[in-house]
Amino acid sequence: MEQLLTANVATNLYWLGRYIERIEATLGQIMIAYDQIIDVDKNAGITLYENFSTELEYTNAKDFLQKAIFGEHAANIAVLAGYARENAIICRNHINTQAFGEIIALNALFQKSSNSFVDIDYKLIDEAGSLISEMWGEISKTEYKRISDYFLRLGQLIEKADFNFRFDEEKETGIIIIDEINKILANLEADKETNVEQTQTQEMDYEVIINNIHKKIQDLIID
Amino acid sequence: MLETENELHKKFWEIFSKQDRQKIDEFKTHMDKFAINFNLYKDGNFIERSLPFDVIPRIISKEEFSKIEKGLQQRIQALNLFLEDLYTDAKIVKEGIVPQEFVEQASGYLKEFKGFSPSKKIRTHINGIDLVKDTVNDSWVILEDNLRVPSGSSYPLSIRDTYRKIYPDFFEQLKIEPIKQYPSYIKSAMNYVSCGGINVVLTPGRFNSAYYEHSYLAQEMDAQLVRAHELVVIDKKVYFKNYNGKRIRVGSIYRRLDDDFIDPKFFNPESLIGVPGLVEAYLAGNVALMNAIGNGVADDKGIYYFVPKMIKYYLGEDPILHNAPTYLPYFKEDMEYVFNNIEKLVIKDVAEAGGYGVLFGHEMSTLQLEDLKTAIKANPRRFIAQELIEFYDEKCYLDKELKDRKADFRAYVVMGEDIKVWQCGLTRYALEAGNYLVNSSQGGGFKDTWVMEL
Repeated sequence: MEQLLTANVATNLYWLGRYIERIEATLGQIMIAYDQIIDVDKNAGITLYENFSTELEYTNAKDFLQKAIFGEHAANIAVLAGYARENAIICRNHINTQAFGEIIALNALFQKSSNSFVDIDYKLIDEAGSLISEMWGEISKTEYKRISDYFLRLGQLIEKADFNFRFDEEKETGIIIIDEINKILANLEADKETNVEQTQTQEMDYEVIINNIHKKIQDLIID
Repeated sequence: MLETENELHKKFWEIFSKQDRQKIDEFKTHMDKFAINFNLYKDGNFIERSLPFDVIPRIISKEEFSKIEKGLQQRIQALNLFLEDLYTDAKIVKEGIVPQEFVEQASGYLKEFKGFSPSKKIRTHINGIDLVKDTVNDSWVILEDNLRVPSGSSYPLSIRDTYRKIYPDFFEQLKIEPIKQYPSYIKSAMNYVSCGGINVVLTPGRFNSAYYEHSYLAQEMDAQLVRAHELVVIDKKVYFKNYNGKRIRVGSIYRRLDDDFIDPKFFNPESLIGVPGLVEAYLAGNVALMNAIGNGVADDKGIYYFVPKMIKYYLGEDPILHNAPTYLPYFKEDMEYVFNNIEKLVIKDVAEAGGYGVLFGHEMSTLQLEDLKTAIKANPRRFIAQELIEFYDEKCYLDKELKDRKADFRAYVVMGEDIKVWQCGLTRYALEAGNYLVNSSQGGGFKDTWVMEL
């Protein structure tokens, strides 16, 4: 029997996947920039945040970490973790219990650090990375066979595609991601038109493709 | 005052003395990590918080619980018969066992539902009965019946799993009744009364105080957790709206909202958490509601007074479990007694719940007592008076010390094809010494309850 989901749960699963992936990918980029700022390129953080359409100012590597994670901008990791927590609470009975716990712990980690007088350092990012890895590990135990997993995975992949586009990473990776998105969309019983033509992927504007996918996903969930 | 320690308690303390007490903190960590919350609204703000938990369980012997079980089964059977009778033939009123005026003035009585009989004539599907153990007679006394939307079962369910992980020795060495079956009781009852279709748990939403419980129970019962707008009523049938636009028939709804909010077309038109048309579907016999609409009349503290009479009337039996001695100022002789003894009585507003509207005569000034008498005189039906029950304290491990606190016990009774009493319950304790109010909404904490045998 097919798994039943309300539109609200499907949407929250999708956004949960997006936020968690966004946090993980952003933290990865932050660590690269942090390392550069120390003694290679003082402006590495500025360049990084231009990709997020954010002007970030900082005095040194440690200050960069603080501003990147807790600064007043749309890529604030603590805020994203709060959003992910909210998504998880709404759809908690459709996600693995341990994975749910990791998401709550992830948010608690950032909230605690944001209220702490102690400067944050790389350990916070390491710890967050571990929680996220554990979360995906728990979820992957079901081998993405349930509809709820598809929505979560869809959110994760869209975010991966978005990062791939923003950071101008290898087009081949982008094609693989879109291929996987297509497979999931097919599994979600989307009609043929939902699929994004793979042959066009290399020629078309990548941003158009991603926006196209966003639209298809919106159409898939009927409130 | 504590209960006399028996062999079961001794066995518990023996094992407890060998446990690492540092690990007690892990309970809180676990509850925080899994957001096992009972939320509060304070000064207009939504506060997410975990319910205070105490590691020392309430221990009830299997033999003692067996008597509680029989008493509760008897009580729920009688209450179900009362509600069914009241909303159909009303024989109990016609025969003068319960005064008509008394029923009609109960805020939970819904005369619009007169003549309607729900699926399988079951109205009291999921019930929370509040009891205390009286120190004078060393016996269990019923304080309150909750036949509308009793909450709290998910907390002991969740904590038991954690307890087993943190302190497995207790469960290895003692004979403690397992409790995991409770959601399956509800599921079976839902299936039994179902009018054909899937089971859903209807929640007011994310910001309800018991949202965790709604979510937890839905998951454990394989039911869909839905908010009102995720259901739609078409041709007096209820449908679940799937994400892809498909509509799936709903046969049974475990609703976690009060009658007043359940259907804006029938009850409060301002309700945003109700399903328009749900009552029509219910009255057409196309969907089962757990619990039935109109049960509030039986939760009325004034009607509570008549439950022993109901047991006698419907079952021809004497009550196994007794009420607290209760007086109805509605009756002249009771009014006189209440006025003469008001300073030693507990006065309750009949329509309130959750520890609200409870006044202790011994805590009130002369002026306050006079005001209360005036209020009682003006509207005697609104109040009941009870003798103050001195109930046992339970040992609690608070701030790394053992302290005595007043504790009650909410037992859960599920009625489907048969009447099942969960071999656990919610033991609630007051956070302050000497406080008689243990309700979660009054800041009380909870303990696990172990039904044990040697």
